[in-house]
Amino acid sequence: MYVFPKGLYADIRIEKTETAAYMVHNGEVKQNSETSVTGAMIRVYDGKMWYTSVTNELNAVQSELDSLAAIAEPNDDIANDPVVKMFEVNKDKVLHFDGENDVRKITRQQREDLVSHYISACVDKTIPEMKQWYAGYSQAHVIKEFYSSKGAEIIQDYQQCGVWVFFDFVIGEIKTTGGRNFRGMFFDKLFGHEQEIIDRRERYLDYAKNAVDVTPGDYVCVLSPAVTGMFTHESFGHKSEADFMLNDKTLQEEWVMGKKVGSELVSICDSGDMFPHRGYIAYDDEGTAPKETWLIKNGVLTGRLHDANSASVLGEELTGNARAEDFGYVPMVRMTNTYMQAGESTPEEIIAGVDDGIYVYNVNYGTGQGTFTMQPNCCYRIRNGKLAEPLRVNVVTGTVFQTLFDIDAVGNDLEFCDLSTCGKNGQSMPVSDGGPTIRVRKLTIN
Amino acid sequence: MERELITSEYSYREVKIEETKIKTFSKDDRMNRSFRVYDGGYAGIQFVQGSADEDTCYKKAQDNLILKRPYKFPLETGVRHRDKTEREYSDKELMEIAREAVTYLEKNYPDFIFGGEVSAVREVKSMSNSLGLDYSNTDGMLNIGISFKHKDSKDITDGWFSIGQRNFDFKKFTDMADNYLSNFTNMVELPEELIIQRQYYGFLAKLDECLNAENLALGTSLLTGMIGEKVFADSFSLTHDVSDKETWCTPFFDGEGVVQPDDKRIYIKNGVLISGYADKFTANKYGVPHTGSAGFGMTDVPYNGNVNFRIERSGKTVKELLDGRLSVVPIMAAGGGFNDKGEYVTPVQTALLSDGERFLGRLPEFAIKGNMFDMFGKNFIGVGSDDPIFNDKQIIVKMDYSK
Repeated sequence: MYVFPKGLYADIRIEKTETAAYMVHNGEVKQNSETSVTGAMIRVYDGKMWYTSVTNELNAVQSELDSLAAIAEPNDDIANDPVVKMFEVNKDKVLHFDGENDVRKITRQQREDLVSHYISACVDKTIPEMKQWYAGYSQAHVIKEFYSSKGAEIIQDYQQCGVWVFFDFVIGEIKTTGGRNFRGMFFDKLFGHEQEIIDRRERYLDYAKNAVDVTPGDYVCVLSPAVTGMFTHESFGHKSEADFMLNDKTLQEEWVMGKKVGSELVSICDSGDMFPHRGYIAYDDEGTAPKETWLIKNGVLTGRLHDANSASVLGEELTGNARAEDFGYVPMVRMTNTYMQAGESTPEEIIAGVDDGIYVYNVNYGTGQGTFTMQPNCCYRIRNGKLAEPLRVNVVTGTVFQTLFDIDAVGNDLEFCDLSTCGKNGQSMPVSDGGPTIRVRKLTIN
Repeated sequence: MERELITSEYSYREVKIEETKIKTFSKDDRMNRSFRVYDGGYAGIQFVQGSADEDTCYKKAQDNLILKRPYKFPLETGVRHRDKTEREYSDKELMEIAREAVTYLEKNYPDFIFGGEVSAVREVKSMSNSLGLDYSNTDGMLNIGISFKHKDSKDITDGWFSIGQRNFDFKKFTDMADNYLSNFTNMVELPEELIIQRQYYGFLAKLDECLNAENLALGTSLLTGMIGEKVFADSFSLTHDVSDKETWCTPFFDGEGVVQPDDKRIYIKNGVLISGYADKFTANKYGVPHTGSAGFGMTDVPYNGNVNFRIERSGKTVKELLDGRLSVVPIMAAGGGFNDKGEYVTPVQTALLSDGERFLGRLPEFAIKGNMFDMFGKNFIGVGSDDPIFNDKQIIVKMDYSK
């Protein structure tokens, strides 16, 4: 195996990623490809700085390790460094996908047949307003190895596959895009979604025909479970990532444990140990086993997410949230599967409690500063407790310091959305968002 | 059977700054190659990252002809090599610049917490084929990107600035830092007239979508049916430009080996829409000229979408364009953007008031709105002939406040 340098901490992440993609646009095959990439990141830490190197050549890992060690400053007491002391030493092999469910065993023909089936079932070429349609499939399978100078030896795998159909409708020179994307860890779960896609197609066609522009202002908003998932991720999830508050007294005082940060109805959890949700990990990219971390319980701040560095600086426990996009990136604190716990109200009761407001059905993306944002792609007016006409809304905004207090109803219909990819500091990470229908007394609508 | 090879060699060094301290030195050297064979109207493609035997890769590409990926167009020819690098930085030099930058920020702005990176990149993109095409484009730069947060701020970050140069001038970095930070805590009021001054890349995303020849042909572009018509202001001209000195790491050839005369192609001239952009496949399908707009699809046949749009600079400086008025410079405006109607709405989390060259103070949070046709039409003031604030080109445009 590898010879680790003395007086330094070091770890090595080796990854082999195999992908396949097939995409059809208006009847033409636009993509039909397979790739395979192997590479490694080598990290060395001397107690002051990290030194990292990326290579595709696995036979060069030892020499890269040695060259990094040569520029670091050996430290006889490295074992007692606060960060190094935090690292777990796990020896494990967790291969969920080395049997019949390995997506690498899916043939090109199977992939093409799946997409062709959905095209036949869901693309109605007689709809005059439909100007473009896209259908496709993609898969990725990763085997990750992790070795550290403390003795960790971990082998784990991860895979995702997905199928999607989307439509562009044009009415009055305005394009509206709608469709559905199904994604998960198992190929056989991608079948049987025809009616859901057709329902979505009809919903967005109706939206394209009938949506009216919203008047900007502050509104009572009801968020669908899918939107609550993104809201949870953007409004609070990013503030729970501890790496933003290290050595920052203002933020440490602002986010002190036990502080009331929201309505008693609000409880939020992050856990990487939720197989087979999209943010599942057997171990994080520092070799830590994932933990269930309650970030908020009944409106009170109870936890935050850590890598080894942030846990050591703040004197808290590891949570297993050090994640890297792939071997080309260093790990940092990231969410995994983050969700708002279900409440007791039915969605109908929540909507019935609104005289005049907005139902946010679906969103494209969001951002998570102090002022968080979401860009909806389908909203409805709520009048007298019932859904009314579709609305075009550009952006929904709120502030984390107020909005969690403004949640006055939480539904019993918790759903997970296993489609999300979170961006932070240039790295994209698969995550899962979850939540029930919720009502917020005030969000700003533009 | 013809052969073609697209290669991208990438060398990246980075010194990471966290909590106003140097935390990580990273190096990443990678080579991506796309081996392609063409036979009977089809392309066989094999993507490889890292080292691999060329003959084996071409054999795999040949095997992939079975996928029948269509490509019926003649391959390009030509020989040209362009090297735009001005100097290379050793790892030691990079570390010294990072140390100098952190020391400067820490000493002069102790009330702020800084993060970011100092990085050096070198990229060689090349393309060759069995008909004799032999192109390469080499470029490199040093970049400092700094995020900052006031110690009393309750937000994760308050803003950021960055400066990239082929031959790094540290004075330009300190000038930029001084401009952003020296008046940051001076709160000022929003001006009645909202004139936005910013780098315009974010505004051009909608034009990327609208000028795609396929969208124009299918009716999914807001500019469908408007070729030859006046769509924007007289002073608005839009060019695909891979020649200018401000273009980083952008090759002069496209993913099909097409090179434009003078490395430029104009799409909107004095407000009149000239054409959409199309690779050879799109051009053939919709009966429009191909414009050398093929992307470098390393794993499959080329796709339509390699454009490097630049709005033509005016003959006036930013200050002259402002003509005595003050501008608003958004430095953190996350969320929102253009909608399908071409309306632009974005909340601005952090913005600074400027006289065009120097920041005067920080503004309260607000939201901006506009419309693509107005922003590039009646509300378009121009692109300055100079590069104040950003060390880069920038648009001056009237917009409105939103809720």
